[in-house]
Amino acid sequence: MTTRSLQGRSLALLAIGIAVLIVLPLAVRSSFAIDIFIRILLFSFIGTAWNLMGGYAKQLSLGHAAYFGLGAYTSTILQIDFGISPWIGMIAGGGVAMLASLPIGWLCFRLRGPYFTIATIATAQALMLIFLKFRDLAWGAEGTTIPNLGNAPLMMQFESKAAYYYVVLGLLALGLAITNLIERSWMGYYLVAIGEDEDAAEAIGVNAPKIKRDIYLISAFLTALAGTFYIQYIYFIDPPTAFSFNISIEAALVSIVGGIGTLWGPVIGTILLETTSTLLQSWLGSSIGGVQLTVYSLILMAVILWRPTGLMGMIGEVRQRFFIRKPARA
Amino acid sequence: MFETVAQAVINGLLIGGIYALVSIGVTLIFGVVKIVNFAQGEFVMIGMYISFFLANQFGIDPLLSLFVSMPVLFVVGVLIQHFLIRRVLGPNDMPQIFLTFALSLLLLNLALMLFTANYRTVHTSYSDEAFHIAGLYIPVAKLIAFVVAMALSGALWAFLHTTDLGKAMRAAAQNRDVAMLMGINPNRVFCVALGIALALAGAAGSLLMPFYSAYPFVGQVFVLMAFVAVVMGTLGNVIGALIASLLMGVAESLGIQYVGADSGLLVVFALLLLTLAFKPTGLGGKAR
Repeated sequence: MTTRSLQGRSLALLAIGIAVLIVLPLAVRSSFAIDIFIRILLFSFIGTAWNLMGGYAKQLSLGHAAYFGLGAYTSTILQIDFGISPWIGMIAGGGVAMLASLPIGWLCFRLRGPYFTIATIATAQALMLIFLKFRDLAWGAEGTTIPNLGNAPLMMQFESKAAYYYVVLGLLALGLAITNLIERSWMGYYLVAIGEDEDAAEAIGVNAPKIKRDIYLISAFLTALAGTFYIQYIYFIDPPTAFSFNISIEAALVSIVGGIGTLWGPVIGTILLETTSTLLQSWLGSSIGGVQLTVYSLILMAVILWRPTGLMGMIGEVRQRFFIRKPARA
Repeated sequence: MFETVAQAVINGLLIGGIYALVSIGVTLIFGVVKIVNFAQGEFVMIGMYISFFLANQFGIDPLLSLFVSMPVLFVVGVLIQHFLIRRVLGPNDMPQIFLTFALSLLLLNLALMLFTANYRTVHTSYSDEAFHIAGLYIPVAKLIAFVVAMALSGALWAFLHTTDLGKAMRAAAQNRDVAMLMGINPNRVFCVALGIALALAGAAGSLLMPFYSAYPFVGQVFVLMAFVAVVMGTLGNVIGALIASLLMGVAESLGIQYVGADSGLLVVFALLLLTLAFKPTGLGGKAR
C-alpha cells in the first residue's frame, strides 16, 4: 500500500517536473538564465553518463573527456569537411567513442582502484596531445570555429537559446531513461555487485570484464553526444576545450556530490554545484581565477568526509524519518 | 649524433632525479597507507613557492630553503594523515581517491587565487653556470638537484632498512594486520609515511627553484610523471620507482629531442600505455 502510493506520488512529481522543464524557457526569457539552465542540463547529462560506469560499477574514471572530445571532433570534422549534419555526426561520434572505449578499456581495466583512475587520466590527456600535435588530423592547436549558418535546425544550429535547451533536455531524458532501464535490469545488479566487490562478484559467476566493457561502451557513447552538443552550442573547437580535464572532473564531481550510483544523483549534484558557481560569479565577478574549483573541491571534501552517499543519501535519510513516523501515527 | 643522444640522456637523468623524489613519495604512501596521493604534485608546487618567497623576501638561497620546505611539509603531511586521510581508510576506493583528488584541486586553485597564474623564477649565482665535459653540457643547478635527490633517496632507503621506525613502516606495508599484532601503531606509521613523502615533494620543489618556474599548475607535470613511474616500477616499490623515474626522464628527453619539443609527455604516456599492454604488473613484475 505504502509503496504503491509512493510510486503514484513520484510519478506525479515526475510529470510536474517534466511540465515545468518544458515551460521553463517560455517563462524565463533572460538568455543568461537559459544559458545557466543549459549548463545544468548538460553537466547533469555528462554526470549521468559517467555515473553508469563510475557510480554503479565504481570504475572511477577521470578520463571521460576522451569521449567528450572524440564526439565533438567527429561531428565537427564530418560537418566542416564533408557537410554532414551534426545530428548524424553526433551518432557517428558516439560510434567512434564506443570503438575507442574498447582498446582504452582493455588497457585501463587491467588496473584497479586508483590506478585505473590514473590510466584513464593518461588516455584522455594522450588523446588531447595527439590532437594538439598532429595538425593534419584536425586543425591542431588553433582549433576552428563552426561556420554559423543562422537558423538551421537540420544542422543543429538555432537562433534561439531555447532550442538548444530542448536539445540538451532531450539528451538528459535519454540518459536518465537508459540509467533507469539498466538500474532495474540484471545488468544493474551485476554492476552494483562489481562495484561492491569485484572478486566476489566474479566468484558467483558475474562475467566482470564483459559487463565492465559493455557499460563503458554505453557510457562513452552518451558522453560523446554531449561533446557534439557542446561544440555546436559554443561554435568553437580546439583540443584543450574538447578534451578539457575539467569535463572529466565535473562528470565525476556532480555524481559524487549528488549521490554516486543513484538515478537522480548527478542531476541534484549539478544543480547544487552550478548554482553555487553562478552565485559566486555574480558576487565576486569572474575576474579571480580558481574560485569556482576551490569551492567545488571544498564541497567535494565535505561530502566525502561527512556524507559519502551524497545529497541523495541526505534526502533519503530525511524521507525515511518522515515515513517511519507516519505509519506509527496512523 | 652520439653526442646529441648522450646530451639528451644526461638531461633526462638530471630531471629524472626530481621525478624520483616525487614518485618515491607517491609509492611510499601507496605502499604503506595503500592510498594514491593525487595531491603529491601540489606539494612540489608548495615547496617551490616556499623557496620562491624565502628567496624573494629574505634573499635565502633556494637550496638552503630545503631546510624550511622539508620540515614544513613533513608537518603538513602528518596533519593531513591525522585529520583527513585517517577518516577515509577502509575497503571503499571512492572516498580515498576523491579525498586526495579534492585536496589537489583545492591547493591548486587556492594557489591560483593567492599567487595568480604568473610564472615566478629565482635567479641564483649558479643558475647559468655549467660544466663542459667531453662536449657535453651539464648545468650546475640541475646537477646539484640530481645529487641531492639521489642522496635523499639513499637516506630514505637506509632509514627504511636500518631504523626501527623504518622497519615498522615496511612491516605495515607488507601486512598491516600482522604489523598491528606485533604492536605497531598504524596511524603513527602512516603519519610518518605521509610526512616523509611530503617532505620529499617539498625538497623536489626547493631543488627545482634555481632552474624552473613556479606556477600553480607546475605540480601536474610532476605528478603525472610520478604516477607513470610508479605504475612502471611496480606499485609500492621504492627502488622500482627510482629506476623508473630516471627512465622516464630519459624517455621524455629523447622524445623532446627526436619527436618534437611538445612531445615529451606524449612519449611518457605512450610508455605507460605500452607498459599496461605488455607488462601490467610493472617492470618489477609482482601482481597486485
